Amino acid sequence: MRKALLSCAICAALPLASAQAEITFNGFANIVAGQASSGDTQWGYDDDVDFKQDSLFALQASTDLGEGLSATAQIISRGENDWEAEFEWAYIAYDINDNTRILAGRQRAPLYMYSDYLDVSYAYPWITPPEGVYNLELSKFDGVSLSHNFTLGEFDTTAQVFFGSDNDDINVQGIDVNSSFDEIFGGTFTLNRDWLTLRTAYLATDLSIPIPVFDELAAAWNNIEGFGGVAEALVIDEDKAKFFEFGAVIDYNNYLLIAEVTRINYDNMPLDTEESMFVTAGYRFDDVLVHLTYGVDENTINGIGDTLPVGLSPELDQLIGFTRQGLEFRNEDSSYYTLGARWDFHPSASFKVEFSKRDDDLINQDTSLVRTALVTVF
Amino acid sequence: MKLLRPLTLAVALATSMLASAEVAVIVNPANANSISDNDISRAFLGKLKTFADGQSIKAVNSKANSAARVEFEKLVLKKSAAQVKAYWSKRLFTGKGKPLQELGTDADVLSFVASTPNAIGYVDAASVNDTVKVVKSF
Repeated sequence: MRKALLSCAICAALPLASAQAEITFNGFANIVAGQASSGDTQWGYDDDVDFKQDSLFALQASTDLGEGLSATAQIISRGENDWEAEFEWAYIAYDINDNTRILAGRQRAPLYMYSDYLDVSYAYPWITPPEGVYNLELSKFDGVSLSHNFTLGEFDTTAQVFFGSDNDDINVQGIDVNSSFDEIFGGTFTLNRDWLTLRTAYLATDLSIPIPVFDELAAAWNNIEGFGGVAEALVIDEDKAKFFEFGAVIDYNNYLLIAEVTRINYDNMPLDTEESMFVTAGYRFDDVLVHLTYGVDENTINGIGDTLPVGLSPELDQLIGFTRQGLEFRNEDSSYYTLGARWDFHPSASFKVEFSKRDDDLINQDTSLVRTALVTVF
Repeated sequence: MKLLRPLTLAVALATSMLASAEVAVIVNPANANSISDNDISRAFLGKLKTFADGQSIKAVNSKANSAARVEFEKLVLKKSAAQVKAYWSKRLFTGKGKPLQELGTDADVLSFVASTPNAIGYVDAASVNDTVKVVKSF
């Protein structure tokens, strides 16, 4: 009796201590196999069956520190990075009240509709969100964000603002370069009611990507008097990039319709604008969702290559040739469609299969890719 | 043709039996708040956090795959079990919220709601007793 009383008294006296000790673990995993059509490459796959490109394993630890304070860390190990584990999220959250929350630390860059749970394949229809739209190299940042929920008439609304920076190795034409996204600043606004969700996002950042080829070309142009402007257009050094997004989801009974459009404006960089969009339509038959996606990706490159004077000297012509060739590297005009199905065969797992066909209009090439995935949350 | 008739009859019987599994949304008897269908749905999706009088909402779930939960998710949340699971996965892995506490049986839900002033739950309408207040039946 006394013992019971004592332990009870301890319970009552130490609510904070016990709250601190309690760490919750959750996780998710995507095991994806894919193979591109014979002799082709598409979205990181070639014509050998590959299990690494999109496979990942993630573990999330979270703890409630009481009084609105909590800490969360999400570690993801990706096949693509030889299963090296990395922190994708690591933040302290503070709830000012039921509707307002501040996050400080590493968090997702909320560019897209599905950014916040980009890797949780269980949470969306496709194996991965449509590649063309979701291909920007900025997926996370270190900084602060503030989100506020409120109701607007019949709509549940979330407004979010964020500020931070990110440094990451990104792969440009087979080489890893250290990119930096400085002074990332942006906001998102989401409206949701029953079956309708509308979202928009804006982000601006100072971009630096030291690409050796462009840096060498720029150095060559800097040596020629009067062509400093060309050099400026080739180096990506604290140049402004502005990102705009609009997305909509209609999830009505058995029908699903998802559409998203993005546009990026680059100031004085090899790439001028990048526009992407996709539309997905789906229908649910009990445990099986069948969906069809159509997407378009168009990049326009800096037009400075066309203004250069050809024929003055063979050396200059050669440099102009290299420059034009260099600028072409991210030029894009392509479209694709993906036909897929998701089968919820288990309360915590789904099986997905997809066939994608991509049409590159610039080089007039068709490629296709078949992927299957086993995705789970736990 | 002859075979079809008993079959359709069996199907009709089965569907009517399913439809008769009524779900009652229950609160503590001391809770005087009125709550709309839309708000019930939002409360069980973690979007609505307070009752009209300002006290915080403590929504509890029945066990996964229980008859009451399947019906509730279909009729009130208008989602399949997999869709609800996907919804909570989104919230969980973005740090926006944890899935609701799950209780094992209707009796557990009844006693929890009866003893928790700000609780809201749901049970098979046939299980309801006078320790709780029914705000709505589906």
